[in-house]
Amino acid sequence: MKRLRQYAWLVGLLLVSVLLVGCETGHKFVKKTAFKDTDKMVLVFAGPVDESWASNVGNFSAYEEPDPDIVLTIKETILSPDKTQVTLIFADPVNTGEAHIVSATNILSEGRDLGAAVLTVKKLYIGVLMTIFIGAALINNFVFTKYLGLCVFFGTSQKRGTAVGMGVVFTIVMVFAAVMAWGLYQFVLKPYQLTFLNVVVFIGLVSLSVQGVDTILRKVNPMLFKAFGVYLVLVIANCIAIAVPLILADNEYSGWESFALALGAGLGFLIALFLMACVRERLELAQVPPSFRGLPIAFVTAGLFALAFLGFSGLSIY
Amino acid sequence: MKEMVKITFALTLSCVIAASAMGLTFTVTAKAKKHNHHMSVQNAMMDLLSFGEDHPVPSDLAFHNVYRYIVEDGDKKFLGYMVPVEKAGKEVYEMVMVDLEGKFVEKLEVPISEGQAEEAHDRASALEKVLPPNQFFTYADASAIATAGGQRLGYVLPGKFPGFRTFIHVLVALDPQFELLGLEIMEHEEDAGLGAEIEQEYFKNQFKGKSFETLKGLEVVKKPMPQEYKKYLEKSKWVEGMFTEKQISEIRKQYKDSDIHAITAATISSKAVTDGVKNIAKKFAYRIGKLDGVLQEQDIHAAF
Amino acid sequence: MSTTTKSNTQLFMDGILKENPIFKLALSMCPAVGISTSVMNGILLGTAVLFVQVFSSCTISLIRNYIHPKIRIPTYTLTIATWVTVIDLVLAAYVPAAYKAMGMFVRLIVAFAIITMRLEMFACKEPLGKAFWDALGMGLGFMFAMIVLGAVRELLGSGMLLGYDVLGFKPLLFFVLPSAGFFVVGLMMAFFNWIEVAYNRKKGV
Repeated sequence: MKRLRQYAWLVGLLLVSVLLVGCETGHKFVKKTAFKDTDKMVLVFAGPVDESWASNVGNFSAYEEPDPDIVLTIKETILSPDKTQVTLIFADPVNTGEAHIVSATNILSEGRDLGAAVLTVKKLYIGVLMTIFIGAALINNFVFTKYLGLCVFFGTSQKRGTAVGMGVVFTIVMVFAAVMAWGLYQFVLKPYQLTFLNVVVFIGLVSLSVQGVDTILRKVNPMLFKAFGVYLVLVIANCIAIAVPLILADNEYSGWESFALALGAGLGFLIALFLMACVRERLELAQVPPSFRGLPIAFVTAGLFALAFLGFSGLSIY
Repeated sequence: MKEMVKITFALTLSCVIAASAMGLTFTVTAKAKKHNHHMSVQNAMMDLLSFGEDHPVPSDLAFHNVYRYIVEDGDKKFLGYMVPVEKAGKEVYEMVMVDLEGKFVEKLEVPISEGQAEEAHDRASALEKVLPPNQFFTYADASAIATAGGQRLGYVLPGKFPGFRTFIHVLVALDPQFELLGLEIMEHEEDAGLGAEIEQEYFKNQFKGKSFETLKGLEVVKKPMPQEYKKYLEKSKWVEGMFTEKQISEIRKQYKDSDIHAITAATISSKAVTDGVKNIAKKFAYRIGKLDGVLQEQDIHAAF
Repeated sequence: MSTTTKSNTQLFMDGILKENPIFKLALSMCPAVGISTSVMNGILLGTAVLFVQVFSSCTISLIRNYIHPKIRIPTYTLTIATWVTVIDLVLAAYVPAAYKAMGMFVRLIVAFAIITMRLEMFACKEPLGKAFWDALGMGLGFMFAMIVLGAVRELLGSGMLLGYDVLGFKPLLFFVLPSAGFFVVGLMMAFFNWIEVAYNRKKGV
């Protein structure tokens, strides 16, 4: 229990640091920048700014980061009553998926000139990571939406204990393998134009991760190993294990994004396994027609789950 | 110990053999892959410009590729256009640098042939030789300008934007007045039967013929499509005598400036494509206007 | 040197019917559910799996006496991965449109348990001839299952077969949607079970 709390603290610290880094704006007087609605941006300052400066639209200019030559038209600006927030209203809807660069000429605050500012306005990185994470776990659930990892899925979903064991082991191996795959892809395969070796390298990494987790678990926690060790071998036969590195290579994800993807994939697999196990335990006691017993009815159940998970497809939190 | 050595040796040997087998296949197939990709893009471009049986290809049809780069010098940014230029009867590439407002900065000759210029890798090495070492360049996009008989026939622009699932890659064709000649969906990962319907004629062909002004304010409406309009759009399913000439021109006039009818149960994909096409056309029109101004002012004889 | 007593033709037919990888052995179900939306997909993926299975089996069978027992599994994995990369590159280069329809599934062949299992159980002990026929049977069995599934889903979902409009209307779009893959495979498995039970009953077993 104490160890768990220590781990939770560490994870919390990590998240907070990512959040802080993501909040960096580029000028010490500007505290925060954010998108608002579909056509506004909000700049939050550390102190009050002069109304004469804030109401002049000409003091601000904005463009999308990849298109520095196309300047967006700002219709008007609104200053908040406490004079610390300026809202820029644009003539056309703003593409919030793209990072925007906003330049403000010399900021006038209480008569003092605080210099020009070049600010980046983009969605919080942690939001991007959460989208990938929830995407991999629910919206694009690897079992119910992408139909991967089915052999292992049907093989280990008969009892709840087995299911949870498989899910946990898989998540751990997946995270290790994905981060290593990202590293190898970015620093070895891509620069030397060896991307055709993707498949071989990734499956090798998965095997290596399995071996590594096996060894570590044996030494660190033999009891855990006795409970979960047998599932380690099955990870290699799991399509998801090779799909995740392939996806992060194809989409050119960054390190944190790969981590989020792997974690989401593992968690999604765990959720799928657990749900399936709950149902299958009940099915054991039901009166299933002889031809359907075993796998066929399990498939039909999975089909129903897949339909249910379709409901997640419009989910968008950020 | 001897076991370990034997195992390591066997494993290394197998890895080396495997790697060479794959490397060999890669080199052999890479050429075929590039050729196929090139051909599919060419075919799509010809389709978009409406060349076919009843509209023969002019003998002097040529596509000129203009590559846009963003060049950073310290904290200043410039746009660099790699433009094919006619010099003493030959076509060479020149890098025309303009600042963010569209004013000319300088031009440099780039030692690269037209065929080589199609390879991102070759372009990058040629540019590295020509630009000073303190300038960093990143590739932005490419546009193809079709000419025949000394006149511009149209522009074919590849583009990519996020769809409902992942990115959608398209090819947009505009005529010299930026009226939309056609839209082709090259790659997508949308759901079959739902978002994937953007590939169907009854969605794609709605964009054909929209003027630039309509394009700039194009929206998506969730109204059911009139049967007659749908039949008109599905050109490949036309039978003899289905529409008279008068009916065709009437339908065309009626829907010329209308908004895009969304695909049932795929509004997000429909909106993504509409907004994507809108942005591609708007940005290109702005940039080619500035580029043409600079080329004329500096008396650069572009191949188009 | 061979440990099996089955003839070549028997091995071949077993792979297609009695030990069909998808319907009987219930292995490699990922593509069966995900990609069996049309007959064309079935043919293409079936060809890819056949290629990988046959070549891997033959390779392993040829070098079976030189494989160090401790590195059996890595050797199998390496062989399979190599052949998967080869077929992946070839398909991407020569049939790009069809290859795109299959998405990631060609590269995922490397994780198919059926191939590794076949190598472990059969190819590493049998001479080239027998290994070849077994692999051919398995691969064709897979392709057969995929085509049947694809035909059912394509016909019922979009009224077409191989791209040709057979019915002229779309009976139930649901069948082309991915989730239907589970239902169709489940129902087909039950169907095969039922046939087997009826056949055995007739034979008096």
